[in-house]
Amino acid sequence: VTEHVVCRVDELPEGSHRVFRVGRREIGVFNMGGELHAIPNLCPHQLGPLCEGGVSGALDRGPHTGWKLAWIWDGEVVTCPWHSLEFHVPTGQCLALPDVRLRKFPLRAVDGEIRVSV
Amino acid sequence: MTETASRPRPARETLEDVYVVDADVHIPEDPAGLAEYAEPPWDVGLREIAKVEERYLDLPGMTPRAEFRVPFPGGSNRRQIVTSAVELRTSLDELEVDKAVLFPDHLLYLAMVRDPSFAATLARAYNQWLLEHWLLEDPSLRGALVVAPQEPEAGAADILRHAGRREFVCVYLPASGVRPLYGHRQYDPVYQAALESGLPIALHSVEAVFPVFPFELNEFRTTLGAHAVAHPFSMIANMVSMLETGVPARYPDLRFAFMEAGCGWVPFILNRLDKEYIERRREVPYLQERPSHYIKRFFFGTQPVEEPERAADIVKLYELFDGENQALFASDWPHHDFDHPRYFFGLPFSPEARRKIMGGNAVRFFGPEVAA
Repeated sequence: VTEHVVCRVDELPEGSHRVFRVGRREIGVFNMGGELHAIPNLCPHQLGPLCEGGVSGALDRGPHTGWKLAWIWDGEVVTCPWHSLEFHVPTGQCLALPDVRLRKFPLRAVDGEIRVSV
Repeated sequence: MTETASRPRPARETLEDVYVVDADVHIPEDPAGLAEYAEPPWDVGLREIAKVEERYLDLPGMTPRAEFRVPFPGGSNRRQIVTSAVELRTSLDELEVDKAVLFPDHLLYLAMVRDPSFAATLARAYNQWLLEHWLLEDPSLRGALVVAPQEPEAGAADILRHAGRREFVCVYLPASGVRPLYGHRQYDPVYQAALESGLPIALHSVEAVFPVFPFELNEFRTTLGAHAVAHPFSMIANMVSMLETGVPARYPDLRFAFMEAGCGWVPFILNRLDKEYIERRREVPYLQERPSHYIKRFFFGTQPVEEPERAADIVKLYELFDGENQALFASDWPHHDFDHPRYFFGLPFSPEARRKIMGGNAVRFFGPEVAA
């Protein structure tokens, strides 16, 4: 495992995300309310550039919402620009496919820099 | 033995090694551009339409549709149009597509345009605009010549007007919202003109909620419902209608393709019709063989390719309608549900079947103009 500096902390304000090349990989780094997350810029569906998609929330409805339509995870869901498959970034969980969960890369902010471990 | 053993193993085939014909790529016909080719007074109307802000497959005045979606944030942020031949060629290079057949955006809804004269004008203007702005710009881009079903005679005349132009490789019939269905005798002039011009026929569907059979899909409240059903219903209805009036028996040398509905519906309707035929042959005496024999001579666009959980099931599905020889790879680029050629290439077909589906079958369907 190697730590790679991808950018300065102030280059990734809250609510933004960017894609970085780290070695042979492309990794999407997200700042969600001050919490940093890193996931592959590769959708497991047809290998689209997942992290070039927009971030929003998601619609949900089930026993856990009292069967009412609910807007959840606002600012935490990235949508693949190719075919709109949604992922909850903090957990890496695919919303449509329960058996699909993205790898999450450890990362931290040190000395004003964001470092991703690959 | 020694000779065989010392022969170098052939490198594993990659997508770059395969000649890819993309049977369905979309371009956005802009109303101001079409106005330049439209007969008065429709040019005036088209310039008025051009003042309206255009959205994806949604241009008031040109795309009749019932839109009831509530716009929650999210969904794809990808730009789903390409605006020039140069831009299109660049994106097709990234997709590893060698040759592409162009279909329109808004004119996917052409069958639902109410004024027959406007519909015929749109088709005529589009064909000329397509030729001058796209097909003559790049020889790797070939065109589907649009016919407005509202005015079959005008469509036939337009086919004959362009006959012999290598840039057009098929006649496109808008399959959704069409009334009557394509088995009706009113379309015979179109089939005759296509036959005389040596052009095959491609039916292309679109998500349509429209008050004619079988497009009354307003019972669904979601796009998932309407979109999933609109395409195969459109194809099944038109294919059954064409078999009822013996279109493939009356035009045995005319090739037909069914685009954008995937292929999952094909084995179903093929077996269903064969079963019906045993008891009701007398109703369809044009048919000299089981319906499935005619259907297996039709061609089918792959997109949107089914994605079964077990990838090997896609091979079984294609075996049920001779897809190895009759399926045409189509990406539908740059639309929302496009299939990447790399994805199709990775499906567990044999290398030979893959080469046919991704290019060879297209040459058999469209002709030598799409060959390498």
